[in-house]
Amino acid sequence: MDIAAQSIMIKTHPLNPADYFTLAMDEEIRNENMPGSLCGFALELEQLPSIVTLKLRIAEFGERFPLVHTTLKQHGKRFFWSENSFNLPIYFEHVSENLIDQNTYHKDCILQLLNTKQPREEQPPITFHLIQSATKTTFLMRWMHPFCDARGADLILKYLCTDDIKKRLSFNPLEIEPLVDQQMAKYPWWQKISLFIKAKRYISQIDQLRSIIHADITLKPKKLNFQTYTLTLEQTQKIKILTRQYVGLTGTSLYYLGCFMRALHVMDSNQIGDAYCTPYVFNLRKNKALNPILGNHVAPLFAQAPKSLVTHRSALFQHLKQQNNNAIREKLDYAFLPAMKAASWLSLERYGNELRKSMGTNSERSSFWFSDIGSVELPNNQLLGSSINKVLHLCQITSPPALAFLSCQLNQQLSFSYNFIEPLFTPEWITALHKIMVEELLTNTT
Amino acid sequence: MKQQIRNFIFNELIFVAEPTKFSDDDNLIDSGLDSMGIMRLIMFLEEQFSVTLPDSEIDPDNIKSINTLEQWILLHKA
Repeated sequence: MDIAAQSIMIKTHPLNPADYFTLAMDEEIRNENMPGSLCGFALELEQLPSIVTLKLRIAEFGERFPLVHTTLKQHGKRFFWSENSFNLPIYFEHVSENLIDQNTYHKDCILQLLNTKQPREEQPPITFHLIQSATKTTFLMRWMHPFCDARGADLILKYLCTDDIKKRLSFNPLEIEPLVDQQMAKYPWWQKISLFIKAKRYISQIDQLRSIIHADITLKPKKLNFQTYTLTLEQTQKIKILTRQYVGLTGTSLYYLGCFMRALHVMDSNQIGDAYCTPYVFNLRKNKALNPILGNHVAPLFAQAPKSLVTHRSALFQHLKQQNNNAIREKLDYAFLPAMKAASWLSLERYGNELRKSMGTNSERSSFWFSDIGSVELPNNQLLGSSINKVLHLCQITSPPALAFLSCQLNQQLSFSYNFIEPLFTPEWITALHKIMVEELLTNTT
Repeated sequence: MKQQIRNFIFNELIFVAEPTKFSDDDNLIDSGLDSMGIMRLIMFLEEQFSVTLPDSEIDPDNIKSINTLEQWILLHKA
């Protein structure tokens, strides 16, 4: 089948309710004089892939998914992806001639790309960067969060890493109704209202406890930084056993979350606040589905643990698990869908305020951001014949909380990317936090 | 019962290109059923078949296939 024939010509494309959710965060970050909700997946490669083939693959992706060649425009209250007249490039090469500080060059380059602020309407929604030095190659995919969520970005990487054209054609570019809307369509109007009220009650309950924030909020955010650590095979295996022991089959992510809360508590147990609170998303796509790629298809939930429970390891995990079970049993995972739909008509300023601020205390609701991508499964674990040695996960964050903990597994090894905003957090603080985090993950108190 | 379980799994939880070729003994966890999915599946089974499935029995032996899920439910229905 002719790939170009599958392309969809677009003039404007509306944002779905979950895209607005992330756009509001983009606005909040921009208001802090930061670059907005930019995210990245960086692959550290064994060797330089064929640049000609890489460029062709990216061009093909752009042809099949023309939304890649749009920019975000506002018409009245609404935002749309609109065809851009600038013909903005989406592929870039960055080469270091300097033989010294190879590692620093790659990290500096990634940070510069994630920290560059551009007007929203002049920014391509996604760009691809090949970073080369004498001994190292990194492939960075940087995207704006309203364009796609982490699962979508993972699918784009899968597309680029798939050599078989027939398999690439199974990534469907045809316009699919957003999963948020598909799910909403299952409910009669009265049930939508009931879910909306349920979401409001859920938030009110969460907001009864003031969230603990570790960022030094007396300082203004200046730049995103990150530190990524890969655990050994042995450590990963041991953590897998402990996860099963503490939270069972149904709460892998909750084990990381609980350990992270405890590590933060060890860093400073006197921090003001009543509870750790973190948002996490529930993905509406079926697992292993290759579509939809673009857009956000998620609903938010919260994990919250009172300070008094954080000190009791087993009780904490039991609490987090029970909370998650209750959320699913009471269908709270779908409760935010009507709220997201309604909120997409608010101004971004008002929406951001509703999302971040705790109603009871007028402070930030999130103690930190969290995402567990699970196992990264790219075909043959290669990009165009070059083995992938490491995955780095990056995301801009609002300040506060100025801290995001992102986990995944590659080659049977756990990888943790700590994203943080300087100077509200320092690299030294994050290094110390990770050391405690590993101790927490490997602790067996029973 | 098996058909109801199949419908829920393939409509809500995991993507399988040809569900009809997915046998009742095929491994669900290897096919993409993750921790969040298992939780949703258990809630569905409890509600649909009016059983209580104990937390202590949520293990790969009971979850691994449509056949083992059915046996697990029947054990508690009895």
